[in-house]
Amino acid sequence: MDERFRILEHPADVGIEAYGETLQELFENSAAGLISIIAGSSEIHSGQRLHVSIESTDVEHLLVRWLSEILYLSDAERFLFARADFERISETSLNGFLFGERYNPAKHELQMTVKAVTYHQLKVQRQGTWSATVFFDV
Amino acid sequence: MSVLQKLDDYRYVVPKSFRPGMKIEGLIYANDELIKQIEKDQTLEQVANVATLPGLVGRSLAMPDAHQGYGFAIGGVAAADLEKGIISAGGVGFDINCGVRLLASELSLEEVEPDIDQLLNQMFRDIPCGTGKAGIVGLTFDQLDDVLENGAEWAVRNGYGTEEDLHHIEETGTMPKADPAMVSERAKKRGRDQLGTLGSGNHFAEVQYVSEVFDETAARAFGVRQNQIVVMIHSGSRGLGHQVCTDYLEVMQTAMPKYGISIVDRQLACVPIKSMEGKSYLGAMASAANFAFANRQMMSHWTRQAFASVLGNGTLKLVYDVCHNIAKEEVHTVNGSMKKVLVHRKGATRAYPKHRPEVPPDYGEIGQPVLIPGSMGTCSYVLVGTAKAMEETFGSSCHGAGRAMSRHAAKKSTTAEQLIQQLKEKGIHVRGASKSGLTEEKPDAYKDVSLVVEVVHQAGIAKKVAKMIPIGVIKG
Repeated sequence: MDERFRILEHPADVGIEAYGETLQELFENSAAGLISIIAGSSEIHSGQRLHVSIESTDVEHLLVRWLSEILYLSDAERFLFARADFERISETSLNGFLFGERYNPAKHELQMTVKAVTYHQLKVQRQGTWSATVFFDV
Repeated sequence: MSVLQKLDDYRYVVPKSFRPGMKIEGLIYANDELIKQIEKDQTLEQVANVATLPGLVGRSLAMPDAHQGYGFAIGGVAAADLEKGIISAGGVGFDINCGVRLLASELSLEEVEPDIDQLLNQMFRDIPCGTGKAGIVGLTFDQLDDVLENGAEWAVRNGYGTEEDLHHIEETGTMPKADPAMVSERAKKRGRDQLGTLGSGNHFAEVQYVSEVFDETAARAFGVRQNQIVVMIHSGSRGLGHQVCTDYLEVMQTAMPKYGISIVDRQLACVPIKSMEGKSYLGAMASAANFAFANRQMMSHWTRQAFASVLGNGTLKLVYDVCHNIAKEEVHTVNGSMKKVLVHRKGATRAYPKHRPEVPPDYGEIGQPVLIPGSMGTCSYVLVGTAKAMEETFGSSCHGAGRAMSRHAAKKSTTAEQLIQQLKEKGIHVRGASKSGLTEEKPDAYKDVSLVVEVVHQAGIAKKVAKMIPIGVIKG
């Protein structure tokens, strides 16, 4: 699959539609979509590694919690996500490592403050391949 | 064919037949033009969805600047019975106590205009703004807890402004029942470096002049006069508030089944006000609100310093400071009797009339100032609360212009250079932390704030006092 995600726009929203052959790819591409909203096309190296473990009630909830984690790390820890390596992922839990680097003003140009990941029009679908729609409060 | 029932020129009822499960009616304040804009997105559905929540009283309200939000419409007001009702984190929103304050200078337009560039440069240097910009206070977590508990009082105690300022802030700048222990470590980590920062998006600090006075008596009481230079600051609780809302959406979703609550939109997650989770959220929300009060107080201090160093006169009297996103315990008349309720204001302003104990004593014979910021480069307003707002809207009014164009569309339709030039031709000087941040907030990306204010004025839920036009804008 060539396209990883697409940015969606409504008057008060910014969102993404993300795609993946597998659930793992969908989650990785969703995170890449969120980071592209925050940091634009800045190149992000994957020299730093963080462990992540999330549980949820369903796959949509898992996606919101996953993206909230990526957002929290970018805002509080200044860690910009580059890629993920999942040890285990199901529709209700994931476990693995995030790779990325710390925000460096000389290198990364932050584009937009994302306040939060919302449940507004949230959708995760599997029709052969996976796709997800998620909106952010900005 | 609209299913709305037009009540009069400024009010539309959303009947209970609009969607199954509505326990109360919806009421939208709009004229013919604004209702068409409101009908374009999901505002009506969201007003109706809110009306399905348990324990609400009166009507599910939307102000004329309403537009689609998350769960609740932005511009929404809903009051819950304090004993039987619910609290919804989404009904307050992610930017807890996003709000606006107005500072009145002793200077006239003519006295400031020649030095506006220098003044803006100084303010832009002194007020940290933009995405990812840290504040200047290296706070310990103990100090942060002090901020969360005491709000603007903490700021004054630490040299940011004066005791007098506190009397002109909603809740005197300190929300009661704040409980920093209910704020997660994550929220504290996210917000610690952001205290004393403007932020980005629609947040701004603006140097304006009073272009028109509609109500001389009220204006005089508020210390506002024709041609006077004033400063408006619009900011919120930054990452700390965003994380508090994110955390408690989770808590509420998990707890809802225990209380037998089912909802039509996940973003409306809520719990009984009197539940353990409800009390925890209110303690955390009040803490985040206090962070925002302290934040705006600090930026006011730096603005005063900039005025003093550039213009030789740093006297800026705080006219008032209002919350836009908040839930508050208040007493209102419901079906003819006084009732304790929890009023959710999501993109709405409290608009209390004269003779209310919550209104500062020096405004006691006038009413509470209601501050309505316009979009960048357009006008803003001071209004005053009314008795009619107490009767109809739980003492609430609109909060701004309301977005009408997507950020992407706004960015595509103009460049930052063109926009800066266009604004300069209108006599408005701009300093922005990012070019994309500027173009996203271009004036025509928003509804016409004058139209919004006119509806509020005509409907009687706040009355016009003065209009301000910007001469300088600082954007995050």
